[in-house]
Amino acid sequence: MSDRKGLQMEFSYVRCRVAETLPLELAPGSPAKRLRAAGNSQSFGPIPGRTKFALQIQHPPFLHNGNQNNSIHHRTTPPTFPAHTFAKLAPPTYLTAHLTSKGVPIRPSGRSPTQFRTPTCHAGSLTHAHGSAVVRCGDTAGVCGVRGEILRVEDVADYRPKMAEEEERVDTEMHSFQNVRREKREDSEEMARLGLLVPNLELATGCSPTHLPGGPPSTLAQTLSQRILTLLHTSNLLSVHDLRIWFRPPASAPICRGQEHEVMREEEEEIVKAEVKAFWVLYIDILFISLDGNPFDAACFALLAALCNTRLPHAWYDADRELVLCSDDPAESKQLHLYDMPVPLSFGVFEGDEEAKGKKWILADMDGFEEGLCRENVTIVVGEEKRVVRIEKDGGGNVGGRDMRRLVELAVQRRREWVLMLRDGPP
Amino acid sequence: MDRRRVNGPPGGTAPPCYASTLSGKTHPSPKRTRGANEIRKIFLKTGLTPSASGSAYFELETPPTNYSNSLTNRTSALKLTCTVHGPRPLPRSAPFSPQLLLSTRVKFAPFAARQRRSYIPDSGERDLAAHLETALRGVLIGERWPKSGVDIIVTVLEGEEDRPWDALAAGNQNGRTGGWGMMSILSGCITVASAAITDAGIDCVDVVIGGVAAIVRQPAAPPQLVLDPCPSDHEEVIAACVVGYLQSRDEVTETWAKGNVTASSDGKGTTPMGFNALVDQAVEAAVAARRVLVEAIRESTEAKIQSSQAKLPDKLTSV
Repeated sequence: MSDRKGLQMEFSYVRCRVAETLPLELAPGSPAKRLRAAGNSQSFGPIPGRTKFALQIQHPPFLHNGNQNNSIHHRTTPPTFPAHTFAKLAPPTYLTAHLTSKGVPIRPSGRSPTQFRTPTCHAGSLTHAHGSAVVRCGDTAGVCGVRGEILRVEDVADYRPKMAEEEERVDTEMHSFQNVRREKREDSEEMARLGLLVPNLELATGCSPTHLPGGPPSTLAQTLSQRILTLLHTSNLLSVHDLRIWFRPPASAPICRGQEHEVMREEEEEIVKAEVKAFWVLYIDILFISLDGNPFDAACFALLAALCNTRLPHAWYDADRELVLCSDDPAESKQLHLYDMPVPLSFGVFEGDEEAKGKKWILADMDGFEEGLCRENVTIVVGEEKRVVRIEKDGGGNVGGRDMRRLVELAVQRRREWVLMLRDGPP
Repeated sequence: MDRRRVNGPPGGTAPPCYASTLSGKTHPSPKRTRGANEIRKIFLKTGLTPSASGSAYFELETPPTNYSNSLTNRTSALKLTCTVHGPRPLPRSAPFSPQLLLSTRVKFAPFAARQRRSYIPDSGERDLAAHLETALRGVLIGERWPKSGVDIIVTVLEGEEDRPWDALAAGNQNGRTGGWGMMSILSGCITVASAAITDAGIDCVDVVIGGVAAIVRQPAAPPQLVLDPCPSDHEEVIAACVVGYLQSRDEVTETWAKGNVTASSDGKGTTPMGFNALVDQAVEAAVAARRVLVEAIRESTEAKIQSSQAKLPDKLTSV
C-alpha cells in the first residue's frame, strides 16, 4: 500500500511542477528525468497535437521497500499525459517520438521534415513609409517599413563626383560578362561605402518572452540586422543607379531615369554637365510582432515584399534654392526596381535523443520549439537561375555535400513559390 | 551614435522636401465628416502573438480621402499592438513585493510618424508609458499575485499626424496644434492594453477603456466640443482630455488634459464648456468604445472555450 501511495505522490509532484514553472528544467537525477516514453499509442497514430504518450514512472530507490514485483502492477496502467505536457517535460524525446513514428516521419506541427511554412503577406498598409509589408509565417509575424531619405553629396566626407559622361560611357560600353560583373561589384561597393541601405531589425517589441524591451538590442537582433545588411550588399538586389538624384543644367523639365538616354541624345550639341547631387538612403526597419522560430526567413520575406511595394517620389535638384525637391504627385513616383530576388531557406539538424542511435533529421523552416533542440543550422540563399548567393552554416558537421545539393534544390523550389507570391500577390 | 544598430550615413539625411509645400500651393485640409458626438470605428482583435500570455491589435478607421490626390496629404490611422508577458515570478534578486508589479512600455516604430523616429526611447514615449501605468494600476487585482511581475508593451505601428506638411516645412515645429495626436494614442493604448490583459487572463475589477474629447474651433465659428478628435481635421484644437474609465464602477482611473479650457468659453455662458464638460464628453467616448472591446473579448473567449472543449477528451482517456 505504501508503494501505491508513493506513486501517487510522485505523480502529483510532477503535475505540480509542470503547472508552476514551464518549461521544466531536466536536471540529471530529477524525477522528470526518470520518465521514459513507452512510445505513442497504437490506436491513435501520429496525429499531431493529439498524439498521446504513455509515461512510465520509475520509482526512486527509496520508495522500493523490498517488494520489487509491486511496481509491475503499476506498469500495466501507466498514467498518461497530454502531448503538450510531454513536450515540455522531455522535448528531445517528444520530437524523436514524432520523427520515428510509423509510416512517414512527421513533426509536431504536422509538417514533414522538409516542408516549410507558406507565408502570407499584406503590402502597403502603412501610410508614413514609402513601402511596407506585414507578413506572417506560421506563428512568426513581422512588419517591415521602407522609408527613403535624402543624402546630399556635400554631407559625404570624401565623395568622388561621377559625371554623366562617365555614366554614359559605362552604359554604352560593350556589355561583356566581366564588365557586367565588375560594374555590379563597383555598384555594391559604392552603396556600402555611402551607407545607402540601413536595415534594422527589432525584436524588443514583446514578440517573445525572451526578448523584452529595456536595454540594448539582443545579440540575436544584432546578428540578424548584420546578416540582412550583408545579404543586401552581396545579392545585387538594388542598384546605386536607381538611388542617385541628378542635376542637369537645363533643369526646366525634370528628367526621369527611364527617359534619360533619349534626352541625352537630343541634347548632344550642348555640353551637358549633369552631376549627382544627392542619393536616396533607404531606411529598412523590420519589427517582429510575434516570434515562433526562423526570424531570418520571415525578415527576408518582409523585406522583399516591402521593397516590391516601395515607390520613391520623383526627386530633382533645384539650383535656385540649392535644395533637393520632390514631387508630391503619386503618378510621378517610381517603383523601386529589384534586380534579383534572393530567397533564403533555413534548416536545422536534429540529432535525436539518446535512443535515436545516431540518426539525424534535417528540419526545414523550424518553429520555436524545434529551434531550441537543434545545434547545427544551415541557411541557403538562392537567386535567379539557381544561383547560390550565400550559404551560412554553423554548429556541427552533419550536413555533407550530398545533403547540401538536396537543400539547394528545396530552396530553389521555395524561391519559385515566393516569387509568384511577391510578383502576383496572394493566390 | 548607437553602435549596436546599423546606422545611416554619418553626414545625416533629410526627409524628402516636397515642392508643393514650398510654393504655397496648399491642398485643402481634410474636414471632419462625422458628427460631434460620434467616434471613429475601432478594429480590435486579441491573440495576435501566441508566444505572449496575452496580446491585442487595435486600429482606428482610416478617414475617407475626399480631397486631392497627393503624397503629402495621405491620411493615417492609429495602429497599435500590445503584448502582455506574465504574471511571472520576479527574479531572485528582486525585493519582496506583496502584489503584482506592473511595468508598461510604449514604443513608436521608426516608421510610425512622418519624421523617422529613433530606436532610443524619448521623453514622449516615457510619458505615455507613465500615463498608461496609472490607468491600469488600479484595475488589476494585484494582491492575487504576490512576488510576481507583469510586462505590458505597446508598439505604435502608425500614429496620427497633427501638423500639415507646410507647417512642417516652414519650420513651425511647435505649431498651433502641437502634440494633440498623443491624446488619441494614449486612449488607444489604454483600450488595447485592457484587451490584452483580458486575453492573458489577469484578474481585473473591470475592463478599463480610453476616451478622448476636445474643444475645437473652426475659423469664424464658436468653439465646439467633439468626441474622439482627429487633430488633422480641425483648424484649431483649444483643449483636449483623455480618461481611463471603468463603466461598471463609474470610476475614472486616469485623466490627462491639455490646453486652455477657460479660453473656450464663449462669454455668454450659453454652452457650458468647462473642464467638467470636457471630462464628461471623454467618458462618453469611452462608453462608446467599450462595446467594441466587450465584443472582441467575447469572440476570443468563445474561441478559447471551443478549442478547450475539443482538447478535453485527450486529457481524460488513459492508454
